[in-house]
Amino acid sequence: MKTIRDTGLLFQRHLTELVRNPVWLFVGFSTPILYLALFTPLLKHLAHLPSNAVLDLFLPGILALLAFSSGVSAGFNTIFELKGGVIERLRVTPASRFAILTGPILASMAMMFVFDAVVVAVGAGFGFSVHWTGLPILAVLLGLLMVITSAFSIATALVTREISGFAAVVNGINLPVLLLAGVLIPMSFGPAWLRVLAHFNPLYYLVQSSRVLAGGTLTGTAVWQAAAVLVPLTALTLAWATSVVRKAVS
Amino acid sequence: MDDIITTTDLRKSFPARGGAVAAVRGVSISVRRGEIFGFLGPNGAGKTTTLRMLTTLLPIDAGSATVAGYDVARQPQQVRTRIGYVSQLGGADELATGRENLLLQGRLYGASKQQVMPRAETLAKLLDLADFADRRVITYSGGQRRRLDIALGLVHEPALLFLDEPTTGLDPQSRANLWEHIRALRDGGTTVFLTTHYLEEADALCDRLMIMDHGEIVAEGTPRTLKQQVAGDAIVVSLRNGDLDARRAGAAVRPEPYVRELSAGDGQLRLYVDDGGTALPRLIRLLDESGIGIRSISMSEPTLDDVFLRQTGRSLRDGGPDGAQASARPAEKETAR
Repeated sequence: MKTIRDTGLLFQRHLTELVRNPVWLFVGFSTPILYLALFTPLLKHLAHLPSNAVLDLFLPGILALLAFSSGVSAGFNTIFELKGGVIERLRVTPASRFAILTGPILASMAMMFVFDAVVVAVGAGFGFSVHWTGLPILAVLLGLLMVITSAFSIATALVTREISGFAAVVNGINLPVLLLAGVLIPMSFGPAWLRVLAHFNPLYYLVQSSRVLAGGTLTGTAVWQAAAVLVPLTALTLAWATSVVRKAVS
Repeated sequence: MDDIITTTDLRKSFPARGGAVAAVRGVSISVRRGEIFGFLGPNGAGKTTTLRMLTTLLPIDAGSATVAGYDVARQPQQVRTRIGYVSQLGGADELATGRENLLLQGRLYGASKQQVMPRAETLAKLLDLADFADRRVITYSGGQRRRLDIALGLVHEPALLFLDEPTTGLDPQSRANLWEHIRALRDGGTTVFLTTHYLEEADALCDRLMIMDHGEIVAEGTPRTLKQQVAGDAIVVSLRNGDLDARRAGAAVRPEPYVRELSAGDGQLRLYVDDGGTALPRLIRLLDESGIGIRSISMSEPTLDDVFLRQTGRSLRDGGPDGAQASARPAEKETAR
């Protein structure tokens, strides 16, 4: 089918571009490792837990954080491509508009899974307990979040068209979403109203479910809740973003 | 039907502060198969906006356009497979090689890798890319890049190629080289539709052209017929005492029988005469008798700029490539769209 073929072509195109960018590769690998290296000792101190327990609690959240931040920053590349005429060059071809959107998202996702695997492997070396049954399901949820955030980010870039406007939107949502997700600091530390607010944050559900799944439990409430939030949200953002690609100017 | 593009009363407005700004106001054109057709006009005239509508990139507000036999608004997919488009920005992938770019582009048009490979080879030869086809695009010079951009627009063998300001930013040598390539395309049967704000380019390259200003067509024809409309020779006299003299000189010269058209201002007297050879000595004598000092005087056959000047009252050259006219009307700056 044409859409699948086009998606494959544009997947390959973006993957080649990512792999040929050494700075991006280096940062991609080092960021999650740095998070682990810097935050694990801090949390160990704060919660008086042994480092393997801290990793069990903290590492799944880092994976969620990675999915969120790489998705949200996807639009920076879109702005760059807009300025370079790449988006126009693709849009003037008969290629599927859905593929123009999702090809690059899937390529970034493939790279993210490579980074995730490295994080899990390094974490396992320091005592993170790997449960093989939960991780594939976690990967699906991570993938969904990445599609949501990337599609949102790319569409926002196409609408704002300028790096300044786009950066303002991204920075504006970054802080509240990250704070209310309970990745770096558990939400249980916060007051009740903050915990209520967190329930409006899709990332919060992913972080909650990631801990359960990484612990090897497949059918916890947190998992169902995450799926119930992420699946419809994925469909919604994809539909909106595809319509933006269809009409994008310049 | 021999027209590959026909449009009727094409219109486009963009939202702006204080209401919509009309970028294209009722453009009706017809482009014949196999010609190099040009859109000449200053930046902000609406050339790129028109091109974007014809290439399915921008929704049409009003009016209709048929490109390569299909309605642009209703059958965009049909149009897309039949046209090539090279934007001002180019749009090749910098981290990929020229060949990789060509292969991907061909495959996005539905061809298999096996089908595209010989085509990429042909295009690399045609546009002198063969020597560096396997180098990454980021290492290309401006002219090399432009030729790759054009090759990308041709990879699916379209009958019609749109080029938006193809030689902007190129040095004179690369420009002349690109003109040769564009002529060769036309001679090979491809219709070329290009926009330019360079007079020389429109004059040298286009078989037929339209002059556009403020979203409207102000003149159309072959470069020859357009220039013939501006009769005879153009004489420009720079006056020693600037504007004051320009007004006096204008009043003195206007009644003379050999003057076809005259404009005075900016310390200059600009007139069109039937025969420069007989008019010039009489003009100099008259100014001398009127006590008006001449700083310099020049005579030339009319150029497309004279055509533009006659139609709009402004010179295309005044603004230069990124003209004052364009920046004075920021809402119509089309490059930002």
